[in-house]
Amino acid sequence: MKKKNLGSHIFLIIICIYLLIPFAVTLVYSLFTSWDSILPSGFTLRNYQLLFTDSQFWLSMGRTILVSVISVAISITILLLTMFVVVVEKPILGKYVQFVCMIPYALQGVILSISIISLYSGTGSFLSNRLFMLFGAYSILVLPYIYQGIRNNINAINAEMLIRAAQMLGCSEFKAYFFVVIPNIIQGVFVSALLAVSIIFGDFVLANNIAGNNYQNIQVYLFTKLSVSSGLSSAIVVIIFAVVFVITGSILYFQGRKKDLKQ
Amino acid sequence: MKKGKANIMSYIKMENISKSFGNNEVLKNITMGIEKGDLITLLGPSGCGKSTLLRCFAGLEEVTKGTVFLDGEDITHKAAGKRNVGMVFQQYSLFPNLSVEQNISFGLSMQKMNKEIIRQKVKKAVELVELTGKEKEYPYSLSGGQQQRVALARSIVMEPKVLLLDEPLSAIDAKLRKSLQQRILEIHKELNLTTIFVTHDQDEAMIMSDVIHLFNQGQIEQAGSPVSMYTAPKTKFAASFIGNYNIINSYDFEEMVGVPVASDKEIGIRPETIMIAREPKADKETAEEYVLEGKIKSNSPRGNVLRYNVDVNGISLNADVLFRSFTLFENGSKVYLSIPKRDCLELALGRQA
Repeated sequence: MKKKNLGSHIFLIIICIYLLIPFAVTLVYSLFTSWDSILPSGFTLRNYQLLFTDSQFWLSMGRTILVSVISVAISITILLLTMFVVVVEKPILGKYVQFVCMIPYALQGVILSISIISLYSGTGSFLSNRLFMLFGAYSILVLPYIYQGIRNNINAINAEMLIRAAQMLGCSEFKAYFFVVIPNIIQGVFVSALLAVSIIFGDFVLANNIAGNNYQNIQVYLFTKLSVSSGLSSAIVVIIFAVVFVITGSILYFQGRKKDLKQ
Repeated sequence: MKKGKANIMSYIKMENISKSFGNNEVLKNITMGIEKGDLITLLGPSGCGKSTLLRCFAGLEEVTKGTVFLDGEDITHKAAGKRNVGMVFQQYSLFPNLSVEQNISFGLSMQKMNKEIIRQKVKKAVELVELTGKEKEYPYSLSGGQQQRVALARSIVMEPKVLLLDEPLSAIDAKLRKSLQQRILEIHKELNLTTIFVTHDQDEAMIMSDVIHLFNQGQIEQAGSPVSMYTAPKTKFAASFIGNYNIINSYDFEEMVGVPVASDKEIGIRPETIMIAREPKADKETAEEYVLEGKIKSNSPRGNVLRYNVDVNGISLNADVLFRSFTLFENGSKVYLSIPKRDCLELALGRQA
């Protein structure tokens, strides 16, 4: 048994090293000026200094966070209301909602962005604004993740029974959904929201095609710096990775808390 | 006033209730009446419509046809939360994010009641279900029995006119079930609360009820007190569901005792009414009884009762004797059965209108 454990530990370490190599190499490029021999040389923090003193970097980061949060919030609001109808009134609609929410998995970013631009550009409505187009595009992009999170959590707590129990206590269906179901699924929905934010963080295609330089997100900012310096772009990648790492860590933390509460 | 039948004075009346889901008719023209303060049971196998009827009464399902009256008021189309009816579900349905006292006070806070009044009512309800000291705990830290008591307190704190219990003890282990049955009975008596109890467990129905309504395929097969349901079933289904009747078809019974029986009837005999002896009784004692010769096939102890399976000319009969002494009839031994004629009940094959 001990031999088996040692073997699986060694295997795990090898896999981790393999997965961490690209990040490690990128980190090295961001911290050293040259790497001609086995070991890199010319340790410097200049790339990070340039980044943190660049107002455009902070603006891009801020825009990415803003777009992520608003798009995810739109998606969550729409889906929570939709799932109320599915759970309470028309369970038969569930499979159609699921189908619609899964479509974005199959949509390429290029197709989605070009479709949205051709549909709404020049219509004169608020949706012809590139920023609102971006909100809409991202809220569609993250639909599958938000839907799965809400649906799984609703199923886990047997939401319909809770609503019926609340109804028998004099509560309307909508109040029951709002005061009983949502508080019980909010942690799971939050975890899905974090996942959706990390996906938006990593998007380049939609942001570049729809908003481009008019509303530069962090990925578009990275793209503009690729030709400037490999060290600088490596530093940007490291920072993006760190942010996504924090988001992922938060997901794992909240999921762990959910499991502890259940036990 | 016949128990179970709807009459003008009944506290609860359900008249000609039918319920269909698509083409599937789950309830077929149910009419019944319940007196105030009674604890009645809807008994039947899974899928017979008893829970559906309960949900229709609660307002969680719309009836396809029929009328529901409560205390003289037509509540057929009234919203669930407005009927002044409490309900306890099989799966407890406690709100996981709320503590015990928050769960119990939920309905009262929806009514925007004064906080002090809520506190007092919750305290009283917690004492009634014997959960004092558990007020701050959450459902995940409670046992099944405790959760069900919270669900019960949550309903009775609303002071409903009727309490509905939809198989509340099905998910609870046998030993705990007995004490909870007793608790429910005590609460029912203390509050004089009209209660409708749904179960598939005939023992539970016999213990709990003033009146039992036996359901079969969406219709009421028979209704009556536990004693009358047990000692006088009218149909084959009723006899096979309640008690452990021996059910013999008309041809076999005629062969066995030499008495003709209508072909559309079967005969039901309770095992405990059959006496077993090594010798037959004298003739003068058989006027009121059938005396039959048989052979012991097997025996099985069931708590304080020993059940013998006896072969009587190819017909298998179960006879129950109290485990009073160590005298056992060995397998294969010849015995004589005495069956009181009055305990051979004619059972209709179908439901009686």
